[in-house]
Amino acid sequence: MGKMERKFSVVGKGAHVKDAREKVTGSLKYAVDMKLQNMAYGKILRCPHPHAKIAKIDTSKAEALPGVLGVLTHEDVPQNDWESAWFNYRGKVLDGIGRFVGDDMAAVAAQTEQIAERALELIEVEYEILPHVLDMEEARKGDAPQIRCEGNERDPYEVKWGDVAKGESEADVTVECDISYESQQYAPLGRNACLAEWMGDKVTLWTSSQTPSELRDGVHEALGIPLSKIRVMALPCGSSFGQWWSNNFMIVTVLLAKKIRQAVKIELSNEECMGTVKRRHLERTRGKMGCTRDGEITVAEIDHIIDNGGYGFKDDVGFFCVDMWGKARNGHYAVHAINTNLLTAGCMRGVGDCTLGASVERLADRLAEKVGMDPVDFRIKNQIVAGDELRMQHSRDNMKGDRDAYIASIPPHLRKDWPELFHLSAGGTRAILEKGAEAFRWKQRWRGWATPNRIDGPKRHGVGVGTGAHVCGVEFEGSSSSMVRINPDGSAKVHCAVGRQGQGSETTQSQVAAEELGLSLDQIEIETGDTDSCPWNHGSLASSTMYRTGWATRAAANDARRQLLEIASREFFDGVDIDELEITDGEVHPKGEPRSNRRFTFAQVLNELRSETLGQTSSITGRPAVPMPPSTTFARQFGAQFAEVEVDIETGQIKLLDFVAVQDSGTVVNPQVLKNQVIGGAICGAGFAIYEHLVFDEETGAIKNANLLDYKLLRCADFPHQAQVLFEEAPDPVGPFGARGAGESPIAAGISAVAQAVHNATGVWVDMPMTPERVIRALAQAH
Amino acid sequence: MATLKVNNRALEVDSRPDRTLADVLRNDLGLIGVRVSCSEGECGSCTVLVDGEPHTSCLMLVNQAEGHEITTIEGIGTTDDLHPIQQAFVEEQGFQCAFCTPGFILSAKAFLAENPNPTADEAAVAMSGNICRCGAYPYIVRSVLNAAEKLRNEAGTQAAE
Repeated sequence: MGKMERKFSVVGKGAHVKDAREKVTGSLKYAVDMKLQNMAYGKILRCPHPHAKIAKIDTSKAEALPGVLGVLTHEDVPQNDWESAWFNYRGKVLDGIGRFVGDDMAAVAAQTEQIAERALELIEVEYEILPHVLDMEEARKGDAPQIRCEGNERDPYEVKWGDVAKGESEADVTVECDISYESQQYAPLGRNACLAEWMGDKVTLWTSSQTPSELRDGVHEALGIPLSKIRVMALPCGSSFGQWWSNNFMIVTVLLAKKIRQAVKIELSNEECMGTVKRRHLERTRGKMGCTRDGEITVAEIDHIIDNGGYGFKDDVGFFCVDMWGKARNGHYAVHAINTNLLTAGCMRGVGDCTLGASVERLADRLAEKVGMDPVDFRIKNQIVAGDELRMQHSRDNMKGDRDAYIASIPPHLRKDWPELFHLSAGGTRAILEKGAEAFRWKQRWRGWATPNRIDGPKRHGVGVGTGAHVCGVEFEGSSSSMVRINPDGSAKVHCAVGRQGQGSETTQSQVAAEELGLSLDQIEIETGDTDSCPWNHGSLASSTMYRTGWATRAAANDARRQLLEIASREFFDGVDIDELEITDGEVHPKGEPRSNRRFTFAQVLNELRSETLGQTSSITGRPAVPMPPSTTFARQFGAQFAEVEVDIETGQIKLLDFVAVQDSGTVVNPQVLKNQVIGGAICGAGFAIYEHLVFDEETGAIKNANLLDYKLLRCADFPHQAQVLFEEAPDPVGPFGARGAGESPIAAGISAVAQAVHNATGVWVDMPMTPERVIRALAQAH
Repeated sequence: MATLKVNNRALEVDSRPDRTLADVLRNDLGLIGVRVSCSEGECGSCTVLVDGEPHTSCLMLVNQAEGHEITTIEGIGTTDDLHPIQQAFVEEQGFQCAFCTPGFILSAKAFLAENPNPTADEAAVAMSGNICRCGAYPYIVRSVLNAAEKLRNEAGTQAAE
């Protein structure tokens, strides 16, 4: 694996995140902290039925309550469909139909939150109950109640490669599986709120969002007003992980403010955050995998169903989970996405990885066990490495037609930098598995399949390994842009609408700009939330922030740098070619001579611009000259994790004892930011594996544990604090300074490592989440 | 109205019996570092110190706080003058989104007052009353150990003087 020449001054340095001081002093403002002088308080009326239509709604008693400023119903709302990013929501803001228990039906604005709550009880609604369906397999049937006008099922996402029949005949060993996981909840710490104010015909929204531009687009679609009349001011999010993009309650707030002609704030309660917004998909995976006696996978056949709940519209979850097993010679997979009358499902961190990916890992583990092969060796033998072909549906809309059409759509000057299309750009799991196995001392600790490495009374210890992959830069509805301005004082400001979900992208984007410009990190300011000052951006999602927006930020900084050097050349260096100039520590100097007497600060250069062009702005604005290629799905991030667990076979309790996580995200831009992402992912994955799941009422689908008391999360002492994080940095040919993405692969690897460790400790495969009850049941069944 | 002692100041607050301490601190006194998430005492993000002891202010009525010394995150340090525990959390990056961070820091302050030289295991258990959904736990433990060292050094310097 080639090492890129490393000569970075800001990239790769463990700088403290830019907002660290605000974070530890409690002065960082989230949307819940925003207030306006003339602000009213809003509350949303929620549907008590899984599927029902408003036959009659009488708001007169609510409106008569002193302190009530107005009521918004579906009759006030433009009947336009709007879409959230990645089809996490598709529907109308309010259309008089409730599609799950808790759905938005109407809203009240009042002087105080308490009055608004009382007014909700005074709204008289007569519902026409519609037939409902909660089970996704039932919802696929022809006579099932239809939840959406488009029907309950999306077009399948299907890919075939090689010759499945040949692959089956070549297999010496075959296993089959039928796996279902429960639904994980984002379970955000921190609520969200939206504050909307109209000034004339322009509305401003303050809300915590990872996707400010997509939210502005959503308001535009829902209300039919020009984009220029909408300003989103995205504030930092409490733990979001995909929850706070553009959410329907935000647009309800906009319409409620319009109706009462006054600013309104709607703050969701914890129960509303957990029970009315979205959650992870439920899934069922039926699969078959076969290999030769020496462990080469000859065939993989996977059929995967997910539920979208009421308003999700996704169809393509997780193609990268299957192509991770890149050496499988023949195969077929299909993803079917179905709507049900359950809470909307959407992209939670590791979407696909924690449903399809974790299922394929388990399928592969069972095959490795049957053929008697070490799971590390089995992965090394069968998983993808740079250059391997990717199994994507080539004709997807976002792939712009077939392969030839796709190539034609890439600007010619970029094609030369591009790895072979439809092949993995860089990295793979081999290096991270080897590095992790050594650090964990895997060969010494692993005693064979279904064999504990320690027995202590009823306590069995087991070790496990898991791998995860995720795309880094799939495009959705546009190419993310960034803008970099060099100010007259020599500092610079980045404008990129990626929001702030807490992972540190405001810092890492600033590091990219600083590196390209030759400035220090503290000379960079950044705006990530204001759609009036930032160019359109996909947002901080799909692990694409570093890869796509970082690419754009670097290109914008490069453009600003070029303009600065042109002025410097003209004014101070006798018009030399700008390639003869360099920047070191914020000073322009002749190439290779950082100590030259002829060196000039950015402020000096910009001062020349000011005196020459009186009346013109004396700053420089850089932007990417061309967009990034239309669909850069060829880069992946990889995680390999190793865990040791203790299982008490009398109580069924699982303890996590040790963890080693190795991450390949290409060049590491900020080590501590990346470590936090990796460990955070591992913990969320471990939570998925042993605790976390929503409980739906069997009759109505209502969520019974939409609160942090009944929905259990891992706490500090539940995860080994000595957990190690190691990096493997295979540079990407296109990502900024060789960086790729990070946020999502670690969760998938954690799930599989814990699941396999429990199997090795107990000898049984336990369904996830592996609660004590399920562990005991699985053990009882085995005996 | 009642007088509440918050961050070493006596302040007049509306003390209607249905008001929680968290509500009054956030909404009347503007102490937004008191983060409210679950409202049922489970997550610990609204933790404040009452006479030095950590309490979830979402479950405490403002009347119950009368006559006691209340300390919020705003009372222990500012962006240009961080408390050693805050400095330790910055250095170890014991957070991501940081919604939970003020609660963790105040829990850590109470814990370190009782146990100035904890082991990592003790710190992990002590920090288990608060939830960090981003999962910064190993770095929170390191932050607490780093803070313990800073505080011990500070105490040592003071004793030497």
